Amino acid sequence: MSAPAENSEPTTEVSQLVEHLFRHEAGKLVSVLTGIFGTERMQLAEDVVQESLIRALQSWSYYGIPKNPAAWITQTAKHLTLDLIRREKTFRSKQSEIIAFVEGWSADSGADESPMFENEIKDSRLRLMFACCHPSIPQESQTALALKTLCGFGVGEIAKAFLTTEAAIAKRLTRARERIRELQIPFEIPSGEELSVRLDSVLQTLYLLFNEGYKASSGERLIKKDLCDEAIRLATLVGEHPMGDKPRTHALAALMLFNAARLSTRTDSAGNVLRLREQDRSCWDKGMIARGMLHLQKSAAGHDLSEYHLQAAIAACHCSAPDHESTDWAQIVRLYNRLIQINPSPVVALNRAVAVAQVHGPGAGIAAVEAIQARDTLDSYYLLYAVLAEFESQLDHCQAAAEHLRTAINLTEIKSEKNLLSRRLAECERKIAPKK
Amino acid sequence: MTTQAITSEYLLLLRGMDWDRELSPEEIQKVMVRWNAWYDGFVREGKVAGGQPLWREAKTVSGKKGRTVADGPFAEAKELIAGYIMCRVSNIDEAVKIAQGCPALDYGVTIEVRPIAERCPVWERNDQQLANVSASVA
Repeated sequence: MSAPAENSEPTTEVSQLVEHLFRHEAGKLVSVLTGIFGTERMQLAEDVVQESLIRALQSWSYYGIPKNPAAWITQTAKHLTLDLIRREKTFRSKQSEIIAFVEGWSADSGADESPMFENEIKDSRLRLMFACCHPSIPQESQTALALKTLCGFGVGEIAKAFLTTEAAIAKRLTRARERIRELQIPFEIPSGEELSVRLDSVLQTLYLLFNEGYKASSGERLIKKDLCDEAIRLATLVGEHPMGDKPRTHALAALMLFNAARLSTRTDSAGNVLRLREQDRSCWDKGMIARGMLHLQKSAAGHDLSEYHLQAAIAACHCSAPDHESTDWAQIVRLYNRLIQINPSPVVALNRAVAVAQVHGPGAGIAAVEAIQARDTLDSYYLLYAVLAEFESQLDHCQAAAEHLRTAINLTEIKSEKNLLSRRLAECERKIAPKK
Repeated sequence: MTTQAITSEYLLLLRGMDWDRELSPEEIQKVMVRWNAWYDGFVREGKVAGGQPLWREAKTVSGKKGRTVADGPFAEAKELIAGYIMCRVSNIDEAVKIAQGCPALDYGVTIEVRPIAERCPVWERNDQQLANVSASVA
């Protein structure tokens, strides 16, 4: 008679399950277990965690969700690990040591885990991060491996985020694990001089992770947002640890937080890209901006001035301006001038040109674009034409603007960007028409 | 006039253990939330009387007097019974309908729907034969 309760309101038990619980628990557990099994058997750690989650799924589906889901999963992982250690000959030499460690792993009463183990987990996560982001592993494999092991992303999800096939991602992961085995990359946080170099590599990977989520390319929106969130979580984690607590770590965290704060306002409800001046600033995430400012303060300790510092400072200018007009564009131009010295990339120079136009007018903007070194590398970059079109239309050169917009439309594959450009083209053409 | 629906018992046997291998923790979590909505809904309606999951570990006992005890069931992972659910509904179609809502079907799990016999069919057959014999004798 009554229809099956397919879309019935979630039961209280279900709503108790915190969003992303599994993803975050998986990341923690893989870290701790990799410490137990060794980096060369990272895959084994992943398998044990997967099995624990599946047991949770099977058991909770019938009996309901326990009071402390995280503790339940940890407890299960612990049992599976003990079984495995007792069974596998490879662990025989270290068996008693490992068993003592695993048994000391508190998973009881749950919510407030012993603070010592909490630190142990943080340490493990950082060690895993340093192992995954080893400079000898190809960059694209580093990011894939970090997502898989530290952030609990599935192969399919990673493929969607990077717009590639699952097979390609699986290959990258295998290659990364092989490299770790071959090079016998240790499960530790490097010290002394090595720390600085290796930390740069970790930060670079987190930066790429974040950008992958932030850039407006296609791919699933929710997954992209998760990428940004995870990058921020990990960067914060690095900054909290004494070994990672360096000015540039905080600069990176600040940069991510400022950009992420604006993420939700970059598109309208239909998914169209909105320009900075069109965005609803009242919807910017003030909590994130405040956290970003804290990190920015911490990043100012010492004399280190990294690319992250400058990018964070530029983002801070935007975030602290009440509206587009009162943005401190002169300061932004100064920051871009410094940034170009560190990173003379044509893309940075293009962004600088936008700021220059805000201070000195669209004509100066065009001159700045023309002065870009190695400009030909931007020839097929749609944003070059989008920017030029903006300058030309501000000068009321509608024909030239329309020309640039058409080029830009042809050069981008991204639908939401195409839509934005077409909208602007239509505006231009409307202005041209009456003159005919 | 009211007709009383006759309720019978049906067992849903869920087969397939390794369907999760390609899923991320997040996706597993999502399946679980859907599963709970599905399962609890029928429990509240009184159509599902209970169920239990089965772990993978197994011993198989065979041979005369159970002399052979082997580790593990002799089935492919996708054929292993992963759990069962007991339904109390009026007919098999209704039991099938319940099975059709299972979220794990999307990932390759299969469900066998079996009516539960009130008496063991072997005894049933035995009794029938006895009855036939006594009828022919009479």
